[in-house]
Amino acid sequence: MDKDQKSSSLEVMKFFESRFGAHERILGETLGSAMGHQIDDADLYFEYTTAESLSLEEGMVKKGSRHVSQGVGARVLAGEKTGYAITEEIRPETLQEIVRTARAISLVGDGAKNALHLVPSRRESASLYPVTSAELDVPLPLKKELLLEADSAARSTDPRVVQVMASVTTEMKSVMVVRRDGLVSADRLPLIRVNVTVIAEENGQRQTGSFGYGGRIPFAEVMGEPLRHAAREAVRQAIVNLGARPCPTGTMPVVLGPGWPGILLHEAIGHGLEGDFNRKGTSAFSGRIGERVASPLCTVIDDGTLPHRRGSLNVDDEGTPTQRTVLIEKGILKGYLQDRHNARLMGVPPTGNGRRESYAHPPMPRMTNTIMLSGESDPEEIVRSLDKGLYAVNFGGGQVDITSGKFVFSTSEAYWVENGRIQYPVRGATLIGNGPDALTRVSMVGNDLRLDPGVGTCGKDGQSVPVGVGLPTIRVEDLTVGGTA
Amino acid sequence: MNDKEALDLLSFVVDCAKTSGATSADALLIVSDDSVVGVRKGEVEKIQRTRSRGMGLRVFRGHSQAIVSTSDMDRKALESLVRGAVAMAEETQPDPFSGLPGTGAAHVVPAASLGILEEPFPEISQEERIRLATETEKAAFSEDPRIQNSEGAEFQSTSVRSYLVNTDGFSGGSARSLYGLSCSVIAREDDSMERDYWYEQSHFFRHLPHPEEVGRHAGRRAISRLHPRRPKTTTCPVLFDAEVARTLISHMVGALSGYSLYRNATYLKDRENTRVASSGVTIREDPLLPGGFGSRPFDGEGVLSRPKVLVEHGILKTYLFDAYSGRKTGRSSTGNASRSLGDAPHVGVSNILVEPGTRSKDELLHDMKRGLYVTELIGFGVNQVTGDYSRGAFGFWVEDGEIQFPVSELTIAGNLDDMFQSIVEVGNDRRIRSSISSPSLLLENMRIGGNG
Repeated sequence: MDKDQKSSSLEVMKFFESRFGAHERILGETLGSAMGHQIDDADLYFEYTTAESLSLEEGMVKKGSRHVSQGVGARVLAGEKTGYAITEEIRPETLQEIVRTARAISLVGDGAKNALHLVPSRRESASLYPVTSAELDVPLPLKKELLLEADSAARSTDPRVVQVMASVTTEMKSVMVVRRDGLVSADRLPLIRVNVTVIAEENGQRQTGSFGYGGRIPFAEVMGEPLRHAAREAVRQAIVNLGARPCPTGTMPVVLGPGWPGILLHEAIGHGLEGDFNRKGTSAFSGRIGERVASPLCTVIDDGTLPHRRGSLNVDDEGTPTQRTVLIEKGILKGYLQDRHNARLMGVPPTGNGRRESYAHPPMPRMTNTIMLSGESDPEEIVRSLDKGLYAVNFGGGQVDITSGKFVFSTSEAYWVENGRIQYPVRGATLIGNGPDALTRVSMVGNDLRLDPGVGTCGKDGQSVPVGVGLPTIRVEDLTVGGTA
Repeated sequence: MNDKEALDLLSFVVDCAKTSGATSADALLIVSDDSVVGVRKGEVEKIQRTRSRGMGLRVFRGHSQAIVSTSDMDRKALESLVRGAVAMAEETQPDPFSGLPGTGAAHVVPAASLGILEEPFPEISQEERIRLATETEKAAFSEDPRIQNSEGAEFQSTSVRSYLVNTDGFSGGSARSLYGLSCSVIAREDDSMERDYWYEQSHFFRHLPHPEEVGRHAGRRAISRLHPRRPKTTTCPVLFDAEVARTLISHMVGALSGYSLYRNATYLKDRENTRVASSGVTIREDPLLPGGFGSRPFDGEGVLSRPKVLVEHGILKTYLFDAYSGRKTGRSSTGNASRSLGDAPHVGVSNILVEPGTRSKDELLHDMKRGLYVTELIGFGVNQVTGDYSRGAFGFWVEDGEIQFPVSELTIAGNLDDMFQSIVEVGNDRRIRSSISSPSLLLENMRIGGNG
């Protein structure tokens, strides 16, 4: 693939023009009607998405589905107010209508009728995910082959596997943002995700194991070894859990393995640093820039510019280029994650974190890929340092109460450790902590930063967006472990 | 789009599927209109209007199936989508149990008897919407001077019409209206900051509780959480408030799905007619409950709905099936097909009702003597396959049968099977606030993770 960002974004603009008649004059006139001296900002967000899923169970590819989604969202901002309306019938008249509806937020009369002069983005940053539709959305027989291979790979790994479920989803999303300042920005976002879930049974006991992976990558990259690895991992997890004992309960040191356990960062600090909560003063981190919120071993960033990652974007859903934002530097809180609205109200620059699930939703400050940088400790040494505690290497989902700072995340693979030695696997347990001080208790950081395999989805205010996390092995003192023993 | 236009469009699509080579098909259309007005700190913050429609089509070629969905209603685009679906069904593998439910021809019109549709829609001006949200938030602030910040109050109105047509001659429609008031505020005192919320909803605008009531309740809830402590790690009785008791019920209902059953993915496998809860627990499903938030005349495949008992005095009476999972396990559909536009049906429920007991929550607290009263749960630590349960909790510590102080940053853990069997008493405080409704539930013992 040799297309750079510039040609690809112009291509997307042409697509919207030819499919929906969204040419510059119409857009300029439509958005021009959203001007007015009380209005601070306005934008139109065009989306056209196609997604295809195929799934397997009992050795058969039983289900296929294809989804087409198109629409436009119009947003008008006045002070702290947001007006938002959508249409799925994309015509000049419906565009006018949604702008009028969104404009109702500003209680002054009709806006100026001056058409806006639009300036298509000429930014020449390299694309972070140059994947064509043909490379992503391959013919169905290839996807079928992938699922059948996942099935046989999982079953041949261990005879205790009684059920294999696998799925593959490819999605191509074309978006175009037209802003009141005249900027027109467009992008095409490929996304693929493969999931393998198994159920293993022994002596009447059943356990599941699951492994997913993907990113903004061509289909060819999910085939072969990555697929076999996923199948083996899912089986390994299920088998480990067949031998799991009840997890001890209470406050104890916890060692988190590298990669997906980075969900700790996402829940413990990431959400609390989103600009909207901090502008409103509702976050446990509000007004704490410059203060110590983590041990000096911790540097945490949010980086939307990592090539091919699930959480990455060339530009956010408001047309702002993504960036690498330092959230915590050596334990000191440095910055928040901003969209344009909250950045303007707080008097700071946007950070390229304005994201939305689809045209049906207004953007909000959201994370991209949230990562703790490597430290200097040897990961094995960190596990050996545990006198009595939990070593957790895989997790399911997590959640946080922004205001009190209390967050949880639940283990799917964890071990009880005594005298620096792994004793036995333990059954699923929820870990709970307090965001503003959980990271102050990080006492060791490994040199083995790993990014998650590309499966994260973050939910906020009813909107889901793909995200990533990354973590080296770390040791945290005094997390509360919700076991049954 | 009116009812006739909607059904005509669906007929066009399933006919088109047949002429394109499908042996059978069903299609679903959902048309919604949603309006939200948000007010924060006395100022309008958000006005949002979402009018949306989407279609989902499932086609069968023999026993192979494919599903497509779209928000583009252009007839040409639909034709090409249908052809794509039929082509996709040639790639998926045949499964002898797949197919329409086979319940034959029927025509169902939106029925007023369900009490879920206010007709005609009341005209509610923008000023009135803003006033309702403003008064709700104002009531929360006036509840206590320690309510110092707000995430805002919202008034929301929604109308949803859904239609289903299949090639066996079923055609039906269902419509509902919904109005809601919600409020989320923040209490602050010294270095303690706690948020809580409250909401009320109704299918009828005129039945929506007064803003004052919603706001004050949100305020009281936030205040009651100030200065929480962490309990010691222990094992003790736990009283689930009605608001969180329904999450417990939803875990059991999930474990009764016919899909979980044939996949061996439920802790309740092979438990029909055995004890799955203590004898005080009876759980019914009533899809036709007047005014119920899950009420529906037919399920996601057009199977007509009827009430049934799931658990009677602790004994499991039935699993829940759609057409596929029913056939697959040698049973038949229980009318529990749930449907979204872009996916094949799965098992879901309408209105789930836990039979209330005779004593109040306060009487249950009194009898508990010492333990945990849980009012909010967070996290996803529930494993339906093993029944393992571990979640983050907020609530109150109880000594001598009385609430002593709020608690947070703790976990509660157990196993769903043991937890349901250890329900000592069911309260009398059930309110119909969502599709799953339960009174408060007192559990004999759970493991609490906290200090030490």
